[in-house]
Amino acid sequence: MTDTLAKDHETVRAQQRTAAAQARRLKTLDSLFELRAFIALGVLIVVFSLLSDSFLTVDNVITMTRHVAINAILALGMLLVILKGGIDLSVGSTVGLSGVIAGELLQGLHLSPFDVVAYPQVWAVIVICIAVGALVGAVNGILVTRLNVAPFIATLGMLYVARATAMLISNGTTYPDLAGNPSTHNTGFDWLGQGRPLGLPVAVWIMIVLAALVAALLRSTPFGRWLYATGGNERATELSGVPVKRVKMAVYVISGACAAISGLIIASELTSAAPQAGDTFELNAIAAVVIGGAALSGGRGNVRGTLVGAFVIGFLADGLVILGVSTFWQMLIKGAVIIVAVILDQSQQRFRRRRAAASAVAVAAEDAEDDSRNPQRVTSEA
Amino acid sequence: MTTATRTAPVLRAADVTKVYGGTQALKGVSLDIVAGRTMVLFGENGAGKSTLMKILSAVESPSTGHIELDGRPVAFGNARQAADHGISIIHQELSLCPNLSIQDNLFLGREHTHQGGVLVDRAAQRKLARQVLGRLDESLDPDALVSELRLGQQQLVEIARALLQQARVLIMDEPTSALSAPEVEVLFHVIRELKSAGVAIVYISHHLEEALSIADDVAVLRDGRMVATARAEDVDLPWIVRKMVGREQASLFPAREPALGAAALEVEELSVADPTSPGRLAVDSVSLTLRAGEMVGIYGLMGSGRTELLECLAGRLPVASGVVRLQGRRLTGDIRRRIAAGLALVPEDRQRDGLVQSMTVGQNISLASVSRFVRRVLLDRRAEADAVNSTIAGVTVKTAGADAPIGSLSGGNQQKVVIGKALMTGPRVLLLDEPSRGVDVGAKADVFKMMAQQAHNGLAVLFSTSEAEEALHVPDRLLVLVRGRLVADVHPHEITRDRLMSLADGADTTDEAHHD
Amino acid sequence: MFQHKRGRVLISATAVTAGLLLMTACGSSGSDAKASSSKSNLIAIITPSPDNPFFKAEADAAGAKAKSLGYKTSVASHDDDPNKQSELIDAAISRKAAAIILDNAGADASIGPVRKATEAGIPVFLIDREINQTGIAKAQIVSNNSQGAQLSAQQFVKALDGKGDYVELTGKESDTNAGVRSKGYADVISQYPDMKRVVRQTANWDQQEAFTKMETILQRFPRIKGVIAGNDTMALGAVAALKSAKRTGVVVVGFDGSPDAIAQIKAGTMDATALQPAALGAQRAVEQADTYIKTGKTGQPEKQSIDCELVTKDNADEFGVFARR
Repeated sequence: MTDTLAKDHETVRAQQRTAAAQARRLKTLDSLFELRAFIALGVLIVVFSLLSDSFLTVDNVITMTRHVAINAILALGMLLVILKGGIDLSVGSTVGLSGVIAGELLQGLHLSPFDVVAYPQVWAVIVICIAVGALVGAVNGILVTRLNVAPFIATLGMLYVARATAMLISNGTTYPDLAGNPSTHNTGFDWLGQGRPLGLPVAVWIMIVLAALVAALLRSTPFGRWLYATGGNERATELSGVPVKRVKMAVYVISGACAAISGLIIASELTSAAPQAGDTFELNAIAAVVIGGAALSGGRGNVRGTLVGAFVIGFLADGLVILGVSTFWQMLIKGAVIIVAVILDQSQQRFRRRRAAASAVAVAAEDAEDDSRNPQRVTSEA
Repeated sequence: MTTATRTAPVLRAADVTKVYGGTQALKGVSLDIVAGRTMVLFGENGAGKSTLMKILSAVESPSTGHIELDGRPVAFGNARQAADHGISIIHQELSLCPNLSIQDNLFLGREHTHQGGVLVDRAAQRKLARQVLGRLDESLDPDALVSELRLGQQQLVEIARALLQQARVLIMDEPTSALSAPEVEVLFHVIRELKSAGVAIVYISHHLEEALSIADDVAVLRDGRMVATARAEDVDLPWIVRKMVGREQASLFPAREPALGAAALEVEELSVADPTSPGRLAVDSVSLTLRAGEMVGIYGLMGSGRTELLECLAGRLPVASGVVRLQGRRLTGDIRRRIAAGLALVPEDRQRDGLVQSMTVGQNISLASVSRFVRRVLLDRRAEADAVNSTIAGVTVKTAGADAPIGSLSGGNQQKVVIGKALMTGPRVLLLDEPSRGVDVGAKADVFKMMAQQAHNGLAVLFSTSEAEEALHVPDRLLVLVRGRLVADVHPHEITRDRLMSLADGADTTDEAHHD
Repeated sequence: MFQHKRGRVLISATAVTAGLLLMTACGSSGSDAKASSSKSNLIAIITPSPDNPFFKAEADAAGAKAKSLGYKTSVASHDDDPNKQSELIDAAISRKAAAIILDNAGADASIGPVRKATEAGIPVFLIDREINQTGIAKAQIVSNNSQGAQLSAQQFVKALDGKGDYVELTGKESDTNAGVRSKGYADVISQYPDMKRVVRQTANWDQQEAFTKMETILQRFPRIKGVIAGNDTMALGAVAALKSAKRTGVVVVGFDGSPDAIAQIKAGTMDATALQPAALGAQRAVEQADTYIKTGKTGQPEKQSIDCELVTKDNADEFGVFARR
């Protein structure tokens, strides 16, 4: 009997030593995992530059970044919604709606009771479009917080409603030539898509500013803390007196506004607005957030990861076009990247749990050694 | 299973350790389980009983150490494999599918099929089900839906399922908590019958006397360690309690000289509807007054309405009728407004209601008061860190730092974090729902000391407990809650342990009154 | 607090406006349906979604022609959904329409519904797209995609003097017309050995996708001389990309003859497009339906193709919405 006990003890000690070693190894692996999106982006850049001279030029990087910006702006809004543990499928349609409203306003608003045509100033057009995006978000928010509709369903419904509204307003047609007319004092809309202050496209500046704002919101305001907490454990957060409903409402409103900004940039780049613009953009935004390491269950994710995710998707798409790869292969590769990203994320979470358990066992080993050195404590309890 | 194996253990835990996140639930526990005998496992909440049972039945696997069956080490991948080797567990929480019939539940995953092996042989199943239910003195229809059964009957279906699997080792985790007295008698009869057939029984119950009456062997767990094992005939109830609590009562429960101030919380005729079954009152016309500097305990069993009472006061559940006043002003509004008014709750289930697992220790502590640290628009993170660090020191959380993940803390330290979060809001009234649940003995003493300290500083403290020892030693005043009604409001020294237990059980007086 | 109130006013105003919009929309379609169901001199016009101005022009032209011949009309869209198309045809049958003008939702999927209508005694006239069976519909009047593509390609080659690197943007790869047009382009251009197609990418008929892809392609091949696109929408995306890259003198050619493209041709940023006479095909179908209703014959072969017309800066003023003025 004592023999077996001694043997058991030996085995346990050995297990504990292994655990301590494992804890150290897992720590190194974990930091590698943390950087996986950056590593992926680095690999993409190296591979594409080797395969084509025209990939890593200043001009091309700026162009690609401008393409990334549209998705990144959507993804920043999506990040907030996903941090809350929700999802916003309506952003692609909001992109189209925002463009159509810009088109309608810039072409002149016919006010039938007075029989006049009003030409709002460009800044007013931009403000109204963003407000409409926020309104779509507010409807999502009300559906989710007040009427308890699941986010997936609520925003799926609004995907159709917003798209249909865009079609109804435009009667299905594209608004051409949004450059405005000097005689009606509404020129300058094309600056959003085509201006280049300090050498960088306006869209890129908007992305940088929004990313900085969202990062500050998440890191340095109570709202950010509340958002992470709501996504992590809504019950506990509510019991802590956090206005959970207002937090949820706000993220949908911000997401809608971001989508409207994206829509304005697209309309400005093309100086025309099509009601079907932004179709399936929500999926690219979700992909960027997920590749950036956010958990769809909420509470985990950050701005840096999401931006890198948007760059991975954008650089991949443009790089494959430069190489002349067919669309079918482009889709396949994009799908594979998303799946691999999520698999890596899952293994990181598993590693973390194992690491926590391993270090706890190692601590237990130290405790046990303390006990055997102070046998008094054991006997006094037994 | 012959009498020859009587002394050799059929199932054995060898130096088992179990770690959850940063919490060590078991610290090198060994236990021998012998065929034909009933092993009763004693221990306070959080001592590691349920964890040990889960490891024995392969619901969980040990972090270190191993399990032996018939003297050979085994590593079952899951509970199903263990069940196939004759080890069955009846959980504290029921694991039946309420939307299926008794028969379907009994044979779930082990359906009897016709010769082809595809179609379920319902006739054969029904016959077997009748037989096994008959052994339990239950004349239930095998085709009745489980959702239509009383809780006690559901418990018996669980037991019947284990019987059907021809268990050699049957593990029962609190099997009687939902049973009526006659049902308990039937269960004990079945246990004796199984024993004589050579089955080994492992039994856990909060009802110490009841459990001791069925025991052949006893083992006491405390704080994740096995502190004593004995034959049942050699020990008595006081011995078991001593082993369970471990240290002198005085050191666990601080002596106090309360200095009472003005009334802080007044509750008049408060009723709260049961959130799980509307139409029933979880709290029924409860009135109480809490004075500044006073520490009041509510003793009540599961379902007595203690949690609903505290959650209603905190604003989580709506008031059905009645009035609540805080420092003379009527208390209304949502949780946020009540926290602002000076009332904070430490919830019972800290994993579900108390902590955000994805955040750090510091972020959890400041969650309820983070808006206090805003300078202009942004957070003053240094001010926040200072406040967090002083709270960590104040509630004596043992942590690597405010940036450590909350999961790296032990249960007791996590509980201190939840208390720290509540205290950081600057409350006048502090409510704690079962503050000692899942907390090891050392931390438990810290928690009570902290509560006493807060009362000394002029807070009114109201806490609930289902542990008689705590109820009798911690509070200045003790309220007993039975089925939503306040049945006693006494000084703890004025009541004996036996009187308290029978009051709370409600078996002698209230139960009859209700059924007549 | 003041801001809150204003926010609410704005929201309610928007809601009222949206409500009004919806009401007007319902009102007009409702009255249409009532008027046409009472009599059997109804011509049902079923097309894909009027999102695309081409289909809108087609439906408008057919409707106008039918009204001028004294028919009632009902106009509906099947949104390229064969199920919805089948339901719309069932509705036309139950309303005893005199004829159906159909721009169908799939060459194979539409055979059944067309047969069903024919067997119910209602003549069906197909426009714009064919079905993979003859002898059911009374007429299949489609524009000649292959001939139109050759027109565009010839103009493209002419504008480039038969030499230079160029990019082709193709439509959705699963769409038959995308393939027919691309082949038409290749048939002409391959005769000129000095013309080199450096990239062929799909932009899924979409303007924004064409814009993004064109920008990227310009990074790799900055010295391209021309872009030939499978439709005008993609050509317009390419024009926007060239403009944003400040590239001038690149020849851009499209297909369809949309009003936006014609405007760009007039402005000189696009060179040419092949105009599909949507209005003409639709009008012709209605005329033949009228003849058939009155005489029981169309007097024409079932398969008829209408040639596309080349639109360049020289003749751009002669064209309106998918038709000669």
